[in-house]
Amino acid sequence: MSVKTFTRGGVHPPEHKEPTAGSPIREIPPAPEMVVPLSQHTGAPCEATVAVGDRVMAGQKIGDSEAFISAPVHSPVSGTVKAIEMRRVFTGAMVRCVVIAPDEHQEQAAQTERRDWRALAPDEIRSIVRQAGIVGLGGAAFPASVKIAPPKDKPIDSVIINGCECEPFLTCDQALMLLRPDDLIEATRLLIKVVGARRGYIGIELNKPDAIELLASKLKEDPEICVVRCEVKYPEGAEKQLIKAVLDREVPPGKLPSEVGALVHNVGTALAILDAVAQGTTLTRRVVTVTGAVARPGNLEVRVGTPVSHLIEQCGGFAGQPGKVILGGPMTGWAIEDLGVPVQKGTSGVVVLTREYMDAHPTLACVRCGKCVEVCPMGLMPNMIGIYAERGRYDDAEKWNAMDCFECGACAYVCPSKRPLVDCVRKSKQAINEKHRRQREAKS
Amino acid sequence: MIGRNLVVTPPPHLKQRDAVAHAMRDVALALVPVTLVAFYFFRLNAVIMWVLCVGAAVLTEIVVRPMLGQKPQIGNMSAVVTGWLLALCFSPTTAWWTAVIGAILAVGVAKELMGGLGWNWFNPALFGRVVPVVLAPLFSWIGPVLSSTRFRFAMADVMSQATPLAMLKGRDLAGAPTPVDLLTAYPGGALGEVSALALIAGGLYLMLRKHISWRIPAGMIATVFVLTLVLGRYPVHQVLSGGLLLAAFFMATDWVTAPVTGNGRLIFGIAIGVLVVLFRVFGAPPEGVGFSVLLMNPTAHWIDRMTRPKLFGQK
Repeated sequence: MSVKTFTRGGVHPPEHKEPTAGSPIREIPPAPEMVVPLSQHTGAPCEATVAVGDRVMAGQKIGDSEAFISAPVHSPVSGTVKAIEMRRVFTGAMVRCVVIAPDEHQEQAAQTERRDWRALAPDEIRSIVRQAGIVGLGGAAFPASVKIAPPKDKPIDSVIINGCECEPFLTCDQALMLLRPDDLIEATRLLIKVVGARRGYIGIELNKPDAIELLASKLKEDPEICVVRCEVKYPEGAEKQLIKAVLDREVPPGKLPSEVGALVHNVGTALAILDAVAQGTTLTRRVVTVTGAVARPGNLEVRVGTPVSHLIEQCGGFAGQPGKVILGGPMTGWAIEDLGVPVQKGTSGVVVLTREYMDAHPTLACVRCGKCVEVCPMGLMPNMIGIYAERGRYDDAEKWNAMDCFECGACAYVCPSKRPLVDCVRKSKQAINEKHRRQREAKS
Repeated sequence: MIGRNLVVTPPPHLKQRDAVAHAMRDVALALVPVTLVAFYFFRLNAVIMWVLCVGAAVLTEIVVRPMLGQKPQIGNMSAVVTGWLLALCFSPTTAWWTAVIGAILAVGVAKELMGGLGWNWFNPALFGRVVPVVLAPLFSWIGPVLSSTRFRFAMADVMSQATPLAMLKGRDLAGAPTPVDLLTAYPGGALGEVSALALIAGGLYLMLRKHISWRIPAGMIATVFVLTLVLGRYPVHQVLSGGLLLAAFFMATDWVTAPVTGNGRLIFGIAIGVLVVLFRVFGAPPEGVGFSVLLMNPTAHWIDRMTRPKLFGQK
């Protein structure tokens, strides 16, 4: 069987998946206070649809928006709304949150009976996915209902399920593939139907042989879906890179996967879509890998809105002195300062790093070693973006294609001068977006 | 749970252990074989040259950086490597004060005054090797002054012969070392030209450790070989002598002063190769290879711009 990968750039960070690989998914109880942000996705934030003092059911909608690119938010527990206020989230920003005190009954909101998705029209399925508040669970948190509604002039022929999980430390997708292989195949068929595709692919990196074997044995001689073995290389699980690996098609700069007839969904997202369509659930739980310097690392099924501190307590607390706590994977995740921030729909992991992982070397000037250029999967020259961004010359950073960077961090990972290249790109993007916004305003 | 002093920095939170200091250490390691061969042939002269160049380079950095309001950076070993490379560029008969002036110019002017490591336009070691030659009249008083005082430093009576390239100039191989001599060990020319094998070993080590790309040395060596073959000028001798390998593996590949793109590096190597052949065909200054690299150094940024990689998904 051939092994697929993207052709340009890439790095091989240490994987560190052993502590949680193959560990079963364990459900944890709700925390005494649940904090549900009203904006957990790319797109317009939600308005609260409940008021302080209201009693809510688990799974009940508590926030919604009229905007096309948005996703409603649901209560993860039954309980009482204690406050609707600004709280800090993992990015460090203050976001309006619904704070809920769970009760002892944990009542579910009324659910629809099991449905046969094959009897539903694509538009009905899209509407269900929208109402269920499903967003990409791999980290980007883009509303799934938007993704499965590609423009009419861009037919989709291939659905790719992203089981690469190329971020070090994380194993939540692996755990899901091992726990629910039949459901994942079912979810793939559902997605194929919704977008009218012909083929489905489940891309898995070779470091998850158990998942590959299990799914491949179930898909032997399947006419529609196959497992694609992917090389262990970061960022194999990045959308454009995975499409390149699986289909050998390149999404043009600034375009979406539909441009080349592809739809990519992460394992967790695909399963959440199936659950919503077949069982009428809303997205209020997800699997989170809690690992690194904690006493009992594992894959936890966590209610969205649970403070990170509760997850760490449930894993036996810190093992040793924590230096950094990261939400998401260590390559693209966010270091948090306040352990009270809640798990969101897009939170794939809580990785605790000890001080040994901290940067021992100071940031130096760019020595032009060219390693960032070699490893950039997008064909960029991060060295140039970094130098210009450092001087506030964001127009030049734009000329060096800062907007085409998806912030995988491969450049900063290899940089011997330890330059904060991802940060430089983020600042450039912010300034460039701001400039374009001002230009549009000046025109109108 | 607040107040644990958690560190908050932008991603990625994992970084490769390799830092600039590790790379410099590896360059130094790669220079050990050729340096040992030079010590063997030239004995104390080579050792003194090495100590003078490395010492002067390090001292210059210690003195100059605070003057420019910069923090010390001795830890990254950049000055050590510059001094070391400079020592290998000199012949064992070079006057000691030339070596010291070279080291001061290399670190003080070519590196620190240009803004420090990363901002220099010229390879510091080659700058230190070549500029004292160009500016020789400025320094012509130093020799007589020193020899008139009691402060003397004999650097004579070394086992050193005419450089192989000088012998080739007459287009006559009589008396010139054989390729096998040049490949293994031959005491002619500069400290860093005594053994092609030792240089190749060092170069391969740096490629293995992924500090340098094969493109620059390959472009340079192949160009010199092919052009001299066409011109009928003993290609094997040309490649194995005159500091070509030293420059190909250790000078032209200097991170800061070479292009960063793959194609750019190939072009850079080829261009240096062409210049080397021009220098050697139309006169053979002992600094021909050095001049060739220095001439190309300032074009590195421009070559980068001309050879920008294709964007992912770009037609």
